[in-house]
Amino acid sequence: MNQFLQASVNGITLGGFYAVMVLGFAIIWGVMGVINLAHGEFVMVGAYLTWFLNKQYGWEPFLALLVVFPVMFVMGYLLQKILINRIIDRSYLISLLVTFGLSIIISNSFKLMFSATPRTVDTVLSSFWRVGGITIPMAKSVVLIMSLLMMAGLYLFLQHTRRGKSIRAAAQNREAARIVGIEIAAVYAFTFALAIAFTSASGTLISPIQPIFPFMGPALTLKAFAITAIAGLGSIPGVLLGGLLLGLIEVFVATYVPGIGTNLGVVASYVLLVVVLVVRPQGLFGSLRPAEG
Amino acid sequence: MSMMSNGRPLLEVQDIYSGYQADFDIIKGVSLHVKPGEIVCVIGPNGAGKSTVFKALYGFLNVRQGRVLFDDRDITNIRPQEALKAGITIVPQLRSVFPDMTVAENLEMGMYLERDKKRIKQRIAYILELFPRLAERKNQKAGTMSGGEQRMLEIGRALMWEPKLVLMDEPSAGLAPLITKMIFRGIDRLNKEIGLTVLMIEQNARQGLEISDRGYVLELGQNSYEGTGEELLHNEEVRRAFLGG
Repeated sequence: MNQFLQASVNGITLGGFYAVMVLGFAIIWGVMGVINLAHGEFVMVGAYLTWFLNKQYGWEPFLALLVVFPVMFVMGYLLQKILINRIIDRSYLISLLVTFGLSIIISNSFKLMFSATPRTVDTVLSSFWRVGGITIPMAKSVVLIMSLLMMAGLYLFLQHTRRGKSIRAAAQNREAARIVGIEIAAVYAFTFALAIAFTSASGTLISPIQPIFPFMGPALTLKAFAITAIAGLGSIPGVLLGGLLLGLIEVFVATYVPGIGTNLGVVASYVLLVVVLVVRPQGLFGSLRPAEG
Repeated sequence: MSMMSNGRPLLEVQDIYSGYQADFDIIKGVSLHVKPGEIVCVIGPNGAGKSTVFKALYGFLNVRQGRVLFDDRDITNIRPQEALKAGITIVPQLRSVFPDMTVAENLEMGMYLERDKKRIKQRIAYILELFPRLAERKNQKAGTMSGGEQRMLEIGRALMWEPKLVLMDEPSAGLAPLITKMIFRGIDRLNKEIGLTVLMIEQNARQGLEISDRGYVLELGQNSYEGTGEELLHNEEVRRAFLGG
């Protein structure tokens, strides 16, 4: 019983992180029809920024959000204006190639700057809570709470603000959005900036849990791709459920299937991906077709 | 069909040329006008350039020659947002509701450029009064409604802005005959009740002309006939070519 509870807690905390990590990827894909293969690199950049503030100025990692979010928002905005804007109406292949190139440039620049040595941050939240027979690392529970808060914030923003509605409108019917007076280019620039800010913020969240190194990105991008495809485009609650589902599956498989080990637990999520794509190609909760590309 | 089609033209299209590719004009000298309170219908075979005219009017395509006047102002090559601000809204041919938004949210988006929330609320209430069917489905997602209801919502959304002129690109496209009849009756009613001015393109020439004050026939990117709806309905050649005898 304790093992089951412990696995559940671990799965939920992992899944919560997955969900918030995937959001930015899912939004860029759903709204702009761009599959951002440099997604994991932006998580990495956020994690390094956090590490830098932590080591250099002794900031508590979660506090780094105050810097990471606005800085990466501006970076995302500029990147969209300079680069991504040129590939939006092109085929998926073009956006895959450009963002793949971007991912290589970012990860190798970080390797040059900081070497490939894995880094860790120091946090005051390094102790554990013990409830009954299970242990909950404090840092992980804070990550879970922050993840849920960030997702709720984004959800409310998209549902209830004028700008949020313009993003949803552009995602659902671009021509219709234009005829009611929405400037599509402005929506895309804002959406990309917001998505990158969220993505890098998830890098802050992951920093106390996992070592930070320049090539941590691709595995995260792959995970983002799998979760988005399983959850389906167009629904934030869907992404949350998809993330939780994957987190739980990975932890449970690793805990209960003998001889499979933690790393092979990841395989289970890709098996799920293949099954979903065959049985329900639009994803479990998807309502949106990706933009034409 | 309205009773108040006098006065100066609201929209005046003077001999315009436009097309999709450089150096290739789809429309070559189209002229037409719409007076306040009129329903004007443009008919013509496929490929005559009917939709191209609308795209050129709304800034989706470049006008290469000629002029467009609206309210005595030159609006040639205006951008979509400026066309909206000038008082022109459009109901496109393809489905244009926001499928995952509710009916009320869709209407709200019709006034995206308005900042005054109170006024948006008033307009939504007014439009829902005009379309009781939409009022019943206020909180339903637009994508789950029937084709006719979605078209109704598109028209309602175009009216949110209190436009001086609504461009309708084939309001009957993709609808069953009975629904088409209902939509045309609805347009006619709005024209009589609130003085709505409409310029529409219609494949369904007979029903389009029946509710129209005047009509234009386009062929090969140029005007070929014009007249009152009645005249065109009874014109021998128009009948033979477009109305099936």
